[in-house]
Amino acid sequence: MPATLVDPEKILKDLRNLWSDLARDTEVAGGVLRACGMTLVVATDNGADMEELRHLLGVLMHNHPARAIVLKLDGKSDLSATVFSQCWMPFGKHQQICAEGVEISAGFSELNHVAQLLLPLIVSDLPAVLWCRGPRVFSGHDFDPLLPLVQKIIVDGTTVSDPYAAVVAVRELRKQGRLVADLSWTKLTGLRELIASVFDEGTASNIRSVRIFYGGDAPTVSALYFQTWIERALPEAHVTLEQRGEGTRSIRSIVLQGDCEVTLTRPDKATIEVRCRDRVRRSSLVPISEETLMSEELSILGPDPVFDKVLM
Amino acid sequence: MLKPVASNNPFADPLRFDRRVPECAIVIFGANGDLTKRKLLPALYRLAYERRLPDSFAIVGNSRTAMTDDAFREKMHESVKQFLEDSPFDEDLWSSFARNIYYVAGDLNDAKLYADLKKKLDELNRPNVLYYLSTQPSYYGPVVESIGAAGLGRSTEKGWHRVVIEKPFGHDLDSARALNARVHSVFPEDAVFRIDHYLGKETVQNIIAFRFGNGIFEPLWNRRYVNHVQITAAESIGVEGRGAYYQEAGALRDMIQNHLLQVMATVAMEPPAAFEPDAMRDERAKLLRSVKIMNPDEVSFHSVAGQYRGFREEPGVDPNSQTNTFAAATFFVDNWRWAGVPFYIRSGKKLAKRTTDIAIQFNSAPLSLFSSDDGRPPRPNLLILRIQPEEGISLRFLSKYPGAGMRLRPVSMDFNYGSSFGERSPSAYETLLMDVMTGDATLYTRQDMVEASWKAVTPILDSWAGRVFDFPNYEPGTWGPAESDAMLARNGHKWRNG
Repeated sequence: MPATLVDPEKILKDLRNLWSDLARDTEVAGGVLRACGMTLVVATDNGADMEELRHLLGVLMHNHPARAIVLKLDGKSDLSATVFSQCWMPFGKHQQICAEGVEISAGFSELNHVAQLLLPLIVSDLPAVLWCRGPRVFSGHDFDPLLPLVQKIIVDGTTVSDPYAAVVAVRELRKQGRLVADLSWTKLTGLRELIASVFDEGTASNIRSVRIFYGGDAPTVSALYFQTWIERALPEAHVTLEQRGEGTRSIRSIVLQGDCEVTLTRPDKATIEVRCRDRVRRSSLVPISEETLMSEELSILGPDPVFDKVLM
Repeated sequence: MLKPVASNNPFADPLRFDRRVPECAIVIFGANGDLTKRKLLPALYRLAYERRLPDSFAIVGNSRTAMTDDAFREKMHESVKQFLEDSPFDEDLWSSFARNIYYVAGDLNDAKLYADLKKKLDELNRPNVLYYLSTQPSYYGPVVESIGAAGLGRSTEKGWHRVVIEKPFGHDLDSARALNARVHSVFPEDAVFRIDHYLGKETVQNIIAFRFGNGIFEPLWNRRYVNHVQITAAESIGVEGRGAYYQEAGALRDMIQNHLLQVMATVAMEPPAAFEPDAMRDERAKLLRSVKIMNPDEVSFHSVAGQYRGFREEPGVDPNSQTNTFAAATFFVDNWRWAGVPFYIRSGKKLAKRTTDIAIQFNSAPLSLFSSDDGRPPRPNLLILRIQPEEGISLRFLSKYPGAGMRLRPVSMDFNYGSSFGERSPSAYETLLMDVMTGDATLYTRQDMVEASWKAVTPILDSWAGRVFDFPNYEPGTWGPAESDAMLARNGHKWRNG
């Protein structure tokens, strides 16, 4: 698609033309179904691999059809926009499904102007989500003009070198009344579910203390969230976060001290071993990718009470 | 092994944690049959694909045919590959899934079979056991009693023992009650899951969401605004080799007594106090109990039987068969909400096309200011809940035709599942198997519901049993016998054959 002048009316007209062209050109017998359940605004740094991002959006659309608006942000002041479509044929079906998108290049200094541009481009009456891919959202107020346009903001704390500052920034967003998600929290779902099931089985009863061990020189944002989650769930227990071992930053093991000492360790990336006295069992973790994390977050468009408690 | 997270668990996060099946074994009686091959195994495989099943989940198949575990696995491998719906097949996943598939051959009437099953279940040592009766209905009672006699039926401290019973649950009211007594001699009611796969369909569940999740429809959902309701389950195919079974059942027993009356109950029930199994089932049961029971002399006025030309030539079918391959009936609901509103239900084979939908026709505007484009009186609003093949919801209303003058034309506002939710919908059996293994009975029918629906059709069954019909009375590829149209015409209504 050719770059268009940045006029929202023109972009909307280009989108309409895109659908006319799709309907005309398609060789698919069942025709094309226009799919849209939300607006997904993706703010990404100029350095990001756009091919990879387009592919990722394409995959995400299968489960969360949306009007995607990709903001390529750099230091330069040079607004331009193009429209595109993402089409797929669901397995076993005969009708192609397509979702539409707009790519806008802009400088960070132009985000006020971009917000004005986005207003008519956001699909009316459907949820709108802002996904900030880079670390910039954690420092300063560049994104403030965009926040009132969306219901939910998704950030990724792992993009920031200082995990404590990341948690503070996410808490601040929540304090402002925004629905906020952090992919560093989303990453914990598998591990948290395992802890919950260990508790359910009665293996971890009367827990008095919890020790969380992390590798590397500092805890990750995920480890900080994890510690708070345990503290909120077990207000009587003594919860510590301790450094153990060099290498990459990650949660290495967890020891729940109750009627029985339960130890959860990760022999490898995909496995967790749960030990209680002489009983050992292994569970595999669902592989994590940006796509699976985003898909989980896009499934939750309302309040997330458990994460809210962690941010309190 | 992950267990479902209990709500009193301080670590619970129902927004994010999937329901998971506890460590269990499923014993399928009739594992060589079509249902196992086409529905059950593909659904279980798909649940494994989505990591909903524990690694140790075990399947024990049973039928009379002698077969090794490996031969049974191979047979199921081919079936799952062939019948898996809207989903790719993964050989690696199959290899690990198939490791826990076993086979025990034996005659359902032979006590040795149950001793062998006990031995196998002891060997597998899974705390929870689900028995799935996918056999001929005449075996339901004997199999359940044999399970009980072998000491396999009662839940223990270690875990639950449940039974899933396929339809038909009895062939009339008396036999349903008798079967229930036999089942209850072994399993308590909360361990009995009577399956009606229609209730597991995503779009049937969506009726609940549509009615009780939105504020705008429920105020209109009553006799003041609704003129009548049409429920259609039409198939374009014939009996496809099931002539012998179908000949005993017929469309009224096979579709209307169970599936379509359950759908009607979902459409017409009162709002439940909570979205909980018993609250939901109480309301469905109440509605079914409110269905007006026809007097014998009303039956010919309110019901139509049909048989397509060619049915009697199907293999296994009596050349003088009186089986109905088409049935239509008008039901009324005796309660304040629905008094006087006809619910037309029809189902048949070899009809014009395959479609299942519910059409709610509203009353016309009290004063007609406009005539429609074709000069006829304006058509009333119509809400269509499409169950298959294109799942969705449509609302028909009138709109001005562009140009000079005030000409009105009906237009349709459509919601299509695919356009708003890209996600694949789970099959009805995936949903229902997941539910039974996690103990959720919301979408299963309770004995009082079964009895109430048998009561609703009993006068029709009794009347038809004493009649000789002039079959065949409809041509394949049509919308059934002319009497079906006449049944509606008597009330000034017309089937919508969309």
